[in-house]
Amino acid sequence: MRKSLVQVHEKSKSYDWDFPDPRPKYPTRYVVPKTGKDPFRMLVRDYVRMEEEKDSRTYGFLDGALRMQVAERTEPRFMEALKLTLPDLTNAEFQAVAGVGMIALGIRNQELRQGYYAQMLDEIRHTQLEMALRRYYVEHAPDPAGWDITQKALYQHPGGHVSLALFQNFNTGDVIDSVINLNVVVETAYTNILLVATPQTAVANGDDALATTFLSIQSDEARHMANGYGTLFAVLQDESNVPLINEALERHFWHSHRGLDALVGWQSEYGAVVRPWCYREQWQEWVADDFIGSYVDKLTDFGVEPPQRLAKVAEDVPWLHHSTALALAAIWPLNFWRSDVMGPADLEWFGAHYPGWEEVYGPFWQGHAAMADPSSGRLMLQELPSLPPFCQVCQLPCIMPRPDRSDIRVFEHDGRMIAVCSEGCDWIFHRWPQAYAGRRSFWEQYHGWDLADVILDLGYVRPDGKTLIGQPSVSLERLWTIDDIRRIGYEVKDPLVA
Amino acid sequence: MSPDVTVLPYERAFTCEAGESILAAALRQGLFLRYGCRHGGCGSCKAVLVDGDTAGSGSSFALSSSEQAEGWVLLCSTTPLGDCTIDVESMELTQEEFESGDGVGSFEAEVTGVAALAEDIRGLRLALREPDRMSFGAGQFVNVEVPGTTEVRCYSMANAPQHADQIELIVKLLPGGRFSGYLESRIAIGDRLRLFGPLGQLRLRLSHRKVLMVAGGSGLAPLLSMLRDMHLKARPRTVELVFGARRRRDLYLLDEIARLAAALPSLEFVPALSEPDADPWAGETGLVTEVIARRHPSLDGYDAYLAGPPAMIDATIPLLTERGVRRANIYFDAFLPTGP
Repeated sequence: MRKSLVQVHEKSKSYDWDFPDPRPKYPTRYVVPKTGKDPFRMLVRDYVRMEEEKDSRTYGFLDGALRMQVAERTEPRFMEALKLTLPDLTNAEFQAVAGVGMIALGIRNQELRQGYYAQMLDEIRHTQLEMALRRYYVEHAPDPAGWDITQKALYQHPGGHVSLALFQNFNTGDVIDSVINLNVVVETAYTNILLVATPQTAVANGDDALATTFLSIQSDEARHMANGYGTLFAVLQDESNVPLINEALERHFWHSHRGLDALVGWQSEYGAVVRPWCYREQWQEWVADDFIGSYVDKLTDFGVEPPQRLAKVAEDVPWLHHSTALALAAIWPLNFWRSDVMGPADLEWFGAHYPGWEEVYGPFWQGHAAMADPSSGRLMLQELPSLPPFCQVCQLPCIMPRPDRSDIRVFEHDGRMIAVCSEGCDWIFHRWPQAYAGRRSFWEQYHGWDLADVILDLGYVRPDGKTLIGQPSVSLERLWTIDDIRRIGYEVKDPLVA
Repeated sequence: MSPDVTVLPYERAFTCEAGESILAAALRQGLFLRYGCRHGGCGSCKAVLVDGDTAGSGSSFALSSSEQAEGWVLLCSTTPLGDCTIDVESMELTQEEFESGDGVGSFEAEVTGVAALAEDIRGLRLALREPDRMSFGAGQFVNVEVPGTTEVRCYSMANAPQHADQIELIVKLLPGGRFSGYLESRIAIGDRLRLFGPLGQLRLRLSHRKVLMVAGGSGLAPLLSMLRDMHLKARPRTVELVFGARRRRDLYLLDEIARLAAALPSLEFVPALSEPDADPWAGETGLVTEVIARRHPSLDGYDAYLAGPPAMIDATIPLLTERGVRRANIYFDAFLPTGP
């Protein structure tokens, strides 16, 4: 940015006004000083010029991708997992649009507000880019089944519930808590893994379109991180805010770990044939070394505490996405994408990168492969003593961090049985019960139903009305149908019903 | 080829190693430039290439074609192909911020104490006079001007940063060394010394991992500062301090370490002698690498901090990585003797 623009920006800030009612539209418990620093000094005219060019490049690439047959060349396993994770991400963007709008109206500080106005436009841009990509997949993916219903399925599927539970925090509760969740934890700690490292995996698996879209999005994230940093420094001017900051950081670091480590880890390793990196290593670099070791470390002089559950998070990170993968593969008939079989090369890779993986997860994947063909007439669900409950807070199945080391807690709340996956989610539930108690679980909704009827109710069948969208493998000669499932006669039982 | 990069508006030049990005070279040499992701994705390190040729690999989203046409580059993913000049005015750094992200300053200090900690190790206590406080991080060092010359020697602070009006240094005496000569023969309480600092990037990083500290010679100083800081901040970590020396009498400040270990129950102290002599000794023996190898079949989940002679550091790093410490989590200061 040229100096003259800096001066113009200074002038633009004077176009503020005094509100007759000094209370912001969205109240906050924090003391927010009137001074603060817009870290990017971005003028609308420069912003629009810059973003327009980025948009043109990304949309232009989709035209090129059509000619290059990117959708056809993408590994089917990668494309299928994206049917869940891309809508999950679009949900994050959309919740962020609402969140940043709320934040801008809740912070009476002209400099900080300017940064959030630009971020709101960014989040809208990201939502549109991702929807355009989803449309591209609907039209050009070799197996588009599922892509056409992703928006509806997001709200139905347990994997979508993880995203909904996580990202609704962007726009509910206190506005500064939302900043700590969105700008500080999710965007500063986690977007680098998602948006810098995932494009590498996408390219390695043939999906240049996703890589291009994610890189376009990532180029906006530094501004969002700076918004969070600017706001944190502003509120740190008042010591009474420190305990509030620490509690919000504790809550959102834990919850983001549950949701993002599970889903991003799953996509990058179980949605990939070629794995250019190992998720736990990426977490060590971006979250542990950069976010905790540098960002949070610098704030400790101002009273900010590292999350108390950091060591527990680090202990669980190597396993969370493997358990997620196991659960999503076990419920494959309920998915709106095709799962896949993990072959010898996959098993070898997991064993080499996660010592101990084979003993815990190896037998499951062997069983999954043995039952993949419809002629087996068996489902992994039948092998389970009972279905795992979903965590009332993070919505992951309560088999975390590993099925053999589950930290599940079940208790009664207002006459209803509730399960949480861990001590961290237990703490969150009891600290903010009103935010979580009202949710109904997937199993509760379908208690006593035949699995085939659940699938029909969800609408996860192909246009012939019989063949399932979800399949246990991307390379079956004959696909599973609703008749195959009905023949098995599996009844869904809510594990929390006595 | 090691091209020079000149930075405008400060007219300051530094050298890039082959294949090194401009940003990495600047940070390595104690300069400060703005940056974010360090992977060419965020655009925080944008600067104008005024002169020279470079190779770059940043994302086109972080740097639009119009910006590229205007000569903007991303310093984190740009390597110079020959001498070049960049303009970082848009980063809006003051010269001081650029020259010293760490806030390096010039200080006058008064000698308040000298102690013979071991045969060839001296403890030097200074009180800061002008300015009377230095804000430093545990692990950093200062350059001390050798009295009567313009030469400097670098020594790490051993005291906790909370005692910002003092500087406590641990100095290894070198035969024929100028500062050593001053310490042995001429130093007097009340002498005034000129210091420049604080310098260096070594600091205890916040993490969930256990900490292995390895000290040799005068390398105890920065690690001691970290432990004292940890104690005063009441932020204990699980630490194992391996302190290597040749003979029993070469170990020093053992009472102070014992006091810290009593105050920090999560601190385990492991002194080790490589050439034990007639002095009774029940502790570990062997080089620090041998001691670590014996005690730790695996170091997965550890951060390591090393300070001491370069040979010790060179020998220890491969052992640590082989036993599972991530290379990125090994932090060290090599104490290179400056002579004479």
